[in-house]
Amino acid sequence: MRFRIYRYDPESGAAPTVQEYELDFDPKGKKVLDALIAIKDTLDESLSFRRSCREGVCGSDGVNVNGTNVLACVTPLEGLKQPIEIRPLPRLGVIRDLIVDMAQFYQHYRAVKPYLINLDPEPENERLQSPEERAELDGLWECILCACCTTSCPSFWWNPDKFLGPAALLQGYRFIADTRDQSTNERLDFLEDPYRLFRCHGIMNCVEVCPKGLNPTAAIGKIKSLLVKRAL
Amino acid sequence: MRHVGGSHRGLDMWLLQRASAIYMALFLPIFLICALTAGPLDYAVWHGLFDSLSMKVASFLFIAAMLAHAWIGLREIFIDYLHCASCTLLRLALYFAFAVLYLACLVWAVDILWSVR
Repeated sequence: MRFRIYRYDPESGAAPTVQEYELDFDPKGKKVLDALIAIKDTLDESLSFRRSCREGVCGSDGVNVNGTNVLACVTPLEGLKQPIEIRPLPRLGVIRDLIVDMAQFYQHYRAVKPYLINLDPEPENERLQSPEERAELDGLWECILCACCTTSCPSFWWNPDKFLGPAALLQGYRFIADTRDQSTNERLDFLEDPYRLFRCHGIMNCVEVCPKGLNPTAAIGKIKSLLVKRAL
Repeated sequence: MRHVGGSHRGLDMWLLQRASAIYMALFLPIFLICALTAGPLDYAVWHGLFDSLSMKVASFLFIAAMLAHAWIGLREIFIDYLHCASCTLLRLALYFAFAVLYLACLVWAVDILWSVR
């Protein structure tokens, strides 16, 4: 199998390059991450990439394969056009090879206060929700923060420091939609901004690439609806 | 507790863009049906079409909706693509220039529409 992989080592002072690899590998049943590990094991031990759980749960191996952001561990090798071109996620700074600097991404995540805000005294056991209230959170809590969606969003490419991006907005809505949270108004106050929220033009790149099948565009739409309801 | 909110802008623009799109989507097919069922499209029929006050008002609202829609769209493009350190002034100048241009177009449209008698 043929691969073209982005290589960059800022410490060397050399410009980024694309390196070609020829790997004797049976793709049947294998994922992109298996090939990356095989290349590192047999061809080039200097190749750097993040991986941990290798089953689509930890979200650490988001990469750009043949132009689409994917999780390397859940993307089948079969059916990919060769040479398979693997690059780091777009728009984030490259630390080395396929490893990107996620600081900006996490900063936006922190900004939406991704935790329950409830100032009532803690109950004896737990804060209860009805099954229907709990169902509202489905499609929101599953996000693994792999950054595939945010780095595929042109609005994030143009304003990465100001637009929160689909992942952070999805998490923002996850706590707005939570009936146990008491901070909805403050959360909406924070989001009502031409940059933080309204850079989203609904082109749905995020929906297309999300490896967990989530829909950040729908969540952003619900935030906008709540803002409208609140204003009227 | 110190509270940092958003700028509380953007929602009105976003709503206005949706509202203007809905009006245009309603007006255009109705106008096309009126125009196509009015008979052969010669000068007299076209003139008669715009003779009534209701058509004048509806057309005026359509043009106003279109210009508002276009101005907000341009604003979005400027915010998306013009964000260098010294671009704020350029963006403001462009908002102003296009607002003046589109308002002039609106006045011109009123002149044209109400010249039909």
